[in-house]
Amino acid sequence: MNDNAAIAGDALTLPPADNAPATRPALLDRILGWRDPVLFFAALFLAWMLASQWLPLGQNPLLPTPARTFAALLDSLPELWRGTISSLLILVPGFLSATVLGVVAGLWAGSSPRVGNAVFPFARVAAPIPPSVYCPYAIAILPSFQLSAIFLVFVGAFWPIFQNTVAGAHALEARHRDNARILGLAGFEYQRRVVFPAALPHIFAGMAVGLGFSFILLTVAELFGANAGLGRFVQYYADFADYPRMVAGILYTGLVTFTAMTVLEALRRRVLFWVR
Amino acid sequence: MSGLILDDVGFAYGDNAILERIALSVPPGQFVSLLGASGSGKSTLLRLIAGLQSPRRGRLAWNGAQIAGPGIERGVVFQDYALFPWLSMVDNIALAVGKAKPHSGKHERREEAQDYLRKVGLEAAIGKYPFEVSGGMQQRGAIARALALGSPLLLMDEPFGALDPVNRARLQDLLLEIWEDGDGKTRKTIVFVTHDVDEALYLGDRVVILGSAPGRIIADSDVPFARHRERRSLFCSAAFQHKREAIAETLAADMLEHLATA
Ligand SMILES: Nc1ncnc2c1ncn2[C@@H]1O[C@H](COP(=O)(O)OP(=O)(O)OP(=O)(O)O)[C@@H](O)[C@H]1O
Ligand SMILES: [Mg+2]
Repeated sequence: MNDNAAIAGDALTLPPADNAPATRPALLDRILGWRDPVLFFAALFLAWMLASQWLPLGQNPLLPTPARTFAALLDSLPELWRGTISSLLILVPGFLSATVLGVVAGLWAGSSPRVGNAVFPFARVAAPIPPSVYCPYAIAILPSFQLSAIFLVFVGAFWPIFQNTVAGAHALEARHRDNARILGLAGFEYQRRVVFPAALPHIFAGMAVGLGFSFILLTVAELFGANAGLGRFVQYYADFADYPRMVAGILYTGLVTFTAMTVLEALRRRVLFWVR
Repeated sequence: MSGLILDDVGFAYGDNAILERIALSVPPGQFVSLLGASGSGKSTLLRLIAGLQSPRRGRLAWNGAQIAGPGIERGVVFQDYALFPWLSMVDNIALAVGKAKPHSGKHERREEAQDYLRKVGLEAAIGKYPFEVSGGMQQRGAIARALALGSPLLLMDEPFGALDPVNRARLQDLLLEIWEDGDGKTRKTIVFVTHDVDEALYLGDRVVILGSAPGRIIADSDVPFARHRERRSLFCSAAFQHKREAIAETLAADMLEHLATA
């Protein structure tokens, strides 16, 4: 006991130089891990700066300088923020309803051979149709632009989530299925306690793909008929040839997409802590 | 008719006969060790009794009722510690408690699940997840779950096969303790599959040997050693050595015959 305390005490009073080799590589690794991406960003930024300054693009440069772009970004923040809200009011309902319905339908079709047999041929035909082709029809048929946009986002996110959920249900390990049967789990309880959690890794993969599609369809829909929103913002200033604002809108949209993906990834890590 | 009855049971995968003419009668409370070469059909037989698969021919019954599917009166412990990885240890066991006592509340289930975990020496792992504990602890959890299901018939498929010798001996003793705890009425009937002749003799009242290709019963004998067996003195006794030899010979003969015909 005393010996241990003495050793620990010694370690604490050792000069930092002797401690450094143990800690430095870890810290260095972290810094080095950051260095390359930061350098890459810096290189891109530099290229942008040089290109916007030196490329001869005429009176109304299609490639605004970073300074002008960021000025436009700052200036447009209130409008972009309103656009974000407007876009999220389409994205969130569309993506969430696609998640709920995609998961429920996927679990059902994936664990009942009969339902699967009935549904899969249709899914195989319907899923590959690019959802953007429904756009004019949805706008014509649904009472408001918001509803038709939500519908498009829904269609875009639904299929990848559905298909991944089906794959997750099919991938249920035989031993888990056997154990569930031994324990007398059946019906809804079996779905909720066994098939759904087992399929969660696949479901999250489908949600990530679906979220990407959601953003694409959201902006496509907004190009058609919105009076607010991120895609609309970009289109509007492009029409006025206000390229600093347009580029600012693109950058901002990228940031929003990145944030949404990061939130989903954080959720995945939290929920799937048991996956090794 | 109480107990487990197998009457002329046959099973095949496609044209490949796996089990043939299996006839076995296990009285309630008996501990049966099932031995046999790899591929002889031990797991298949257990799955038939569990109701996970249906026989091609013949009849299986537990306590007079024909076996037509899984039921919680027949608990199973598989070799590969199959607790649900997305549930904590206590929730895994509470799931079984809920099945044994459908009208119990959530709190009650967890309390009882904790009791079962304590019983198998897993007090420290109650709130942990299966991936956080060792293989031996997971297997204890699987046993706790089977106990929590309250099944009077317990089917165990090489439950200790993947454990180190120390854990293996511990869990053998734990299983015997739990089994011997029951009096004549409440004692569980156990069918225990193993590759290990020592384990079969140490645990069982009776040793059944399955021959290969197709699986059929080639030997069925009582284990003559008195209960509350003591591992070391039992393993050293001449009677044990003798019995052990006889069983090993039967197994070896079957394997040789299988090699000759294959
Ligand atoms: N799903 C399956 N389809 C076809 N054949 C199978 C299937 N499962 C098992 N078999 C065959 O059935 C036979 C018996 O298998 P089983 O798993 O019951 O043997 P076992 O006695 O438990 O062997 P082990 O001691 O290796 O666990 C084997 O020959 C195996 O190849
Ligand atoms: Mg087996």
